Amino acid sequence: MHATPSPPGRYRGRLGPALGVAGAVLTLWYLLARSGAVAPGLLPTPAQTAAALADSACSGALAADLGASLARAGQGFALGAVVGSALGFATGYLPRLSAAVTPLISFLRPIPAIALVPLATAWFGIGETAKRLLIAYAVLLAVWLYVHDGVSRVPVSHLRAARSLGAPLHRRFIEVLLPAAAPALLAALRYGASVALLALVAAELGGADSGLAYRLQVDGQFLRVDRMFAGLLVLGLLGVTIDLLLAAAGRRLVHWSTS
Amino acid sequence: MSLEVRLEGLSAHYGDTRVLDRTDLRLPAGSFTALLGPSGCGKSTVLNLVAGFVRASEGRVTAGSAPVRGPGPERGVVFQHYALFPWRTARGNVEFALKRLGLPRPERRRRALAALAEVGLADGAEKYPAQLSGGMQQRVALARALAAEPEVLLMDEPFGALDALTRTRMQHLLRALWQRRGTTVLFVTHDIDEALALAERVIVLGGTPGRILADHTVPAGSGDPDLRALIAHHLGSD
Repeated sequence: MHATPSPPGRYRGRLGPALGVAGAVLTLWYLLARSGAVAPGLLPTPAQTAAALADSACSGALAADLGASLARAGQGFALGAVVGSALGFATGYLPRLSAAVTPLISFLRPIPAIALVPLATAWFGIGETAKRLLIAYAVLLAVWLYVHDGVSRVPVSHLRAARSLGAPLHRRFIEVLLPAAAPALLAALRYGASVALLALVAAELGGADSGLAYRLQVDGQFLRVDRMFAGLLVLGLLGVTIDLLLAAAGRRLVHWSTS
Repeated sequence: MSLEVRLEGLSAHYGDTRVLDRTDLRLPAGSFTALLGPSGCGKSTVLNLVAGFVRASEGRVTAGSAPVRGPGPERGVVFQHYALFPWRTARGNVEFALKRLGLPRPERRRRALAALAEVGLADGAEKYPAQLSGGMQQRVALARALAAEPEVLLMDEPFGALDALTRTRMQHLLRALWQRRGTTVLFVTHDIDEALALAERVIVLGGTPGRILADHTVPAGSGDPDLRALIAHHLGSD
């Protein structure tokens, strides 16, 4: 029994060192802020950061910014993930289509989403549409690539077995291709969610009147470093939370996969 | 429940390379034929042509009276690496084959369990492939192929990845299943002893491009050392 720790035991084993590192960083941060090595006002203490966070939580500003950002990121992510997955399945399954569009993807992929902000603003103004489309575009490219890769790696023998067992196209898609590509699809969605947050920040910095990154910019103009730290903390926690939720959902959905 | 399979002037190319050269072969209904040859001799190509996975560049394959135009449930396939669906249990894999028949769910379940019992895997029905040994996985693959009630069973080095003892057990199981069902079997292998232990007829394939080098009938109760030596000679003189 003791030779093979159960999954909860495994996580407990990892939590200890992780908490240790977090504690060390906090301590270091505190010491650095109190030492006077950094110019006063440029590095808040952990307590000042927590106070700034509590302040914006109580005033309702945090909830409003979080709501605005989550709505943008969520809508953009949903659109990009749906279209990207559909394209990924199409090009992953049809090698000829893949050969036709691969050069296009290779060209578009290295252009960072932030480089498209001025163009998106020129085309769609500084409203919500521009932000949602920018996020959707960034997510689409990321998800497309991952799903394409996963679908094209589905063993040919699985599809052959299904055909020789008399399964028609719709059954081969729903009962074979979809589950076979599910681990890659979930990895794609996790990656897509992180890309959505990056694109969200780029979009809000390019012009917005609400949102977590917009607030960072405003706080920056007033040199409210404590508030900026609080904002960065919220962004980080948001990313971690979303990733953990998707990972947990993935473990339940693709229980047969070891990855 | 078996069909005759005919290969008529069959050639196949892989890219620009000819891998099978104008081959004629008739597998009588209910016969058990081993296709023996070294790696790359085109024996898997023959199986894939009969299965309908690849297309011939010349000639044709017929199963019964119908020309083969693609995969079909009357020609079941057992793959070298099992090709089980890892997201389905053993029973789920077999039920995949039964769905085509439009049976009510309890009947489908009953038939799947019966098929697993037939290959000696009644206990493992609710396990996932990753929880089963190689031999057990190949039993599930066999049950899945047979559950679809094929009239031709195509097997591509199905026991190649198994240890010697498991392999012998699987050979006995396959012989017994074939004697009970009378399905036409085409069994691809590179192992002379396996071919002699299983088949009524051993066809030696070799050369580049691949062609039939020898066609031997295996006398019942085999173990004939002269025949083994002769086949080994054909294989070696390739």
